[in-house]
Parts: sequence; structure tokens; C-alpha cells
Amino acid sequence: MKQRVPISLTVNGEIHELFIPPWQLLLDTLRDELGLTGAKRCCIEGQCGACTVLIDGKPINSCLYLTIEAQNQEIVTAEGLVEDGKPHPIQKAFVERGAVQCGFCTPGLVVATKALLDQNPNPTEDEIRIALSGHLCRCGAYVQITEAVMAAARETAQKEVGV
Amino acid sequence: MNYLRELPKFEYLAPQSIPEVCEMLAAHEGEAKLMAGGTDLIIMMRRREVVPHYLIGLKSVPELNFIREEKDGGLTIGAMATSWEIQSSSLVRQRYDFLAKTAADIGSIENLHVSTIGGNLCDGFPCVDFPAPLLTLDAKVKLVSQRGERIVPLDGFYLGYQKTAVEPDELLTEIQILPHNHRYGGAYIKFHDRHAIDITTTGAGAFITLDSDGQTARDVKIALTTSAPVPLRVKGAEAALCGRKVTEEATEEAGRIASEEASPRTSWRSTAEFRTKLVQVLVRRALRQAWRKVTTSSSSGAAPDLWLMHPLDPRIGENR
Ligand SMILES: Cc1cc2nc3c(=O)[nH]c(=O)nc-3n(C[C@H](O)[C@H](O)[C@H](O)COP(=O)(O)OP(=O)(O)OC[C@H]3O[C@@H](n4cnc5c(N)ncnc54)[C@H](O)[C@@H]3O)c2cc1C
Repeated sequence: MKQRVPISLTVNGEIHELFIPPWQLLLDTLRDELGLTGAKRCCIEGQCGACTVLIDGKPINSCLYLTIEAQNQEIVTAEGLVEDGKPHPIQKAFVERGAVQCGFCTPGLVVATKALLDQNPNPTEDEIRIALSGHLCRCGAYVQITEAVMAAARETAQKEVGV
Repeated sequence: MNYLRELPKFEYLAPQSIPEVCEMLAAHEGEAKLMAGGTDLIIMMRRREVVPHYLIGLKSVPELNFIREEKDGGLTIGAMATSWEIQSSSLVRQRYDFLAKTAADIGSIENLHVSTIGGNLCDGFPCVDFPAPLLTLDAKVKLVSQRGERIVPLDGFYLGYQKTAVEPDELLTEIQILPHNHRYGGAYIKFHDRHAIDITTTGAGAFITLDSDGQTARDVKIALTTSAPVPLRVKGAEAALCGRKVTEEATEEAGRIASEEASPRTSWRSTAEFRTKLVQVLVRRALRQAWRKVTTSSSSGAAPDLWLMHPLDPRIGENR
């Protein structure tokens, strides 16, 4: 049985040639091989959303995804939303609206919000709740999180019309 | 902790076609496990409930992922179609809105993108959601191995708790739904605690076809989730409604009969007693909804008013 296999992984626009155990999960590769600790190791059963990353723009639980199956796809983590050292409008909105308390759920929520706003730039409060329902926040900042997503949506919309 | 965190070791195989999958299954019979989305399998492997020597990945087999209309008007869904693809398919929405809705509720958005219909049918748990609506649609599945292929009706596919008709050398390739030539309406209703995460406490699906008199039910199918060791058709309740108008009294009677046919168990989620009550109520609600659709809709049975677009669906803007 092969202990390690060569793979090629595209994360936040960078291609990584890695040598990993075939049974390694994407969450562990991101954190332990690439040092990207945004995606959090939490329930490891798809219940909490803290490990969420985007694969080809779609949010998935990286604790339930084999790295070997994530090849030839674009992976984006919370780190990847930062542009020129500046936080993404979604990240800024989370900080400014007090949607970040202990911060453990934040990276997962931020990328899930990115996926939501990419498809639906102007979501209603109910739509935000449904879209983020796979994420637990143990500090209970759900109201602020919803507000942050609304604020980020407004911000992005303003940018697009050049205000 | 590493023990619990890491998966048991295996050799990963990435076939490109159905014959290749069959070849691998035959070569490693009893030692290999098929991996669809992995949303059930990875959890079971992490808990060491399943420790396969070979993992055969199905994501690399494009011919397993499709949703298509057949020449005779039937609908075929490939085993690797994801919950997301099924919920957003215009074809499924127009034909069987309740099946699309079932797909939209297979957990969180994160889970929808990865979980597949084939994995849902093959894990063999009575608590998963696709079997009940598919049972009401009289769906059949195609099982393929090096020995050949066979078509098995879903009613009869479940042999016991976590036991299906799939032999160790077989692969489920597709789900077939024959065309319905009369007016129809369907519904699937589940009761659960937390929308995104929780497994269904109890669920009920109903599918009604209308007689040409436009007044009475020509045929009624009812199936239950988490109400027996297997996903269950309740044929007594069905028979009580056939040829009748689906009135309030009729739905009540069907709900009562269904609850007598069900044999739910007590688990930490709920007592058997509560589940039995739920069956009664959910069957009634599902029948009511299906009947409303069949009597108010056009021929397709799709009632758009009951159907919300998923917030991440790009078409959502068109509805505003
Ligand atoms: C957070 C969360 C929420 C969930 N919520 C729901 C829910 O609301 N409703 C629900 O029904 N389920 C739910 N599930 C369970 C699970 O996501 C679904 O059952 C899913 O459809 C399983 O599909 P999969 O592709 O992930 O299967 P896998 O885990 O890949 O496979 C499941 C089993 O089927 C076998 N298998 C897979 N494909 C085939 C095939 N083509 N032929 C033969 N055997 C095959 C595998 O070997 C394995 O034994 C949830 C899971 C999680 C983690």
C-alpha cells in the first residue's frame, strides 16, 4: 500500500505539488501541509461548517473531502479572499459589525458568504439564514453575522456601480 | 486523537468508466468500497465502522453524472448526480417539484454540493430522504457488474437495516422513473430539529394520480422515512384511498392506517410513540399537499407557489 502519492493542488491561485497519504482529508492538507489554518478543525463530521472552503466557487466541508479528489479544481480558503494585503469587503464587514467574537467560525462563514454573494448579490435576510444554516457560531453572534452579510452585499453593490 | 481524526489507510483507485469500476469491484471483491460524495462513508470510516482496503472513487466517472429525459418521456438520474444538481435541474423541478425540494433539503449547502443520490440510496439507512419520494414514484434502479446488468424496483431494493440488493461486485448506475400519463401531484414532508444538519426524525411522501373523471384518485403511493428498519411503502393506506376523493376524512384515515403499518424504533432523537404520531400527521399533510397540487396544477403537477428558489441559485434574481 502506497503511503504517499504525488498530487497537484491549486489553492488560492497557487499550484502546489505535494506528496500526501491518499487517505488525507483536504482540511488536514490545507492546515498541516500548507499551513493555511483559516479552515478550522472542529466537529469533523460536517455538522458545524468551520472547515468550509470553496471548490470551484462552491462551498464544501473540507473535513469530508479527500485531498486526492480535490485535484484539477480551484480551492479557495479565507486566506485567499485577501487582496494586496487588504481584507475582502466581506471580511471587513464581519469585523466592523461585531460578527467576529471568538472568531473560530468566521473563516468558514466568510467563504460561505462569498459563495452566496457571487450567486445572489442582494440576498434577503431569510436567504442569508438558509445559505449559512450549515454554520454554527457558539458565541451566538447570528444577528451580527446576518447584518455583516447585508452590509457586505451593499458594499459590493456600491463598488460595482462605482459609488 | 490522531486515530479518530485520520482515516484508516487505503489504496485509492480512480476509474474512468463504468466497466473499469466493475473490473475493480470484481478484482477486489469484499475488500473495496465505492466512494461517491463520501458524506456518509468518510464519517463511517473515521469511526472505523467501515475499513476498506481499496477505495474506488466515482467522481472520476463522468458517465455516472447526468439527469436526462428519455424518448418515452421518462426521467433518468445518474447515480453521481449531486443533491445540488437535482434541486437545480429544471427538468426535475418541472416534473417532480417535490423530488427537487427533497434534494434541496439534504443538509446544508455545503452538503448539497457533495452528496449524491446514488450514495443516498445505497447507504441503506431508513433515515435518509431520497428513498421515500422515489418509492412513491415507482422508481427503479440499474445495478451493473461484470456479470451483467439488472433493473431492480426500489420497492424491494431494501432488504433490512443497512442492507440493500446491491451485491459486493455491483454498482448502482442510475435511477429510472417511468412517465406518468395522468395528472399528478406529489409531496414529501420531513420533521427534523435543525434544518441544515439533522437527520430526519420521520418523513412522509405521497404521490397521487388523478382519474380521468378529474374527481377521484386513480392511484396513490405513500412512503415513509425513519419509520421501519427500511424505507417503507404503506400499501394499506394507499389502498384505502384509491378510487376515492382525497377529502380531509380520507387523509385522516390514511394517516391512521399508515401509523399502524409503520414500526418505528426509539432512538435518542425520538421515541417510537412520537414517531408513530408523526407518521399520522405527516402522511395527512403530504396527502393534502399532493392533492392540492393535483387538483390545482396543470398536467405536470408542479405547483410553483410551494417552491422557493434556493438562495444560492443563480436564477433567484429572475424571480424578483
Ligand atoms: C451535515 C450532514 C447533513 C446531512 N443531512 C442529510 C439529510 O438531511 N437527508 C439525508 O437523506 N441525508 C443527509 N446526510 C447524509 C448524506 O449526506 C446523504 O445520505 C448523501 O446523499 C450520501 O451520498 P454520498 O454521495 O455522500 O455517499 P457516500 O458516503 O459516498 O456513500 C454512501 C454509501 O453508498 C455506497 N455507494 C455510493 N455510491 C454508490 C453506487 N453508485 N453504487 C453502489 N454503492 C454506492 C458507498 O459505498 C457507501 O457505502 C447528511 C450528512 C451530513 C454530513
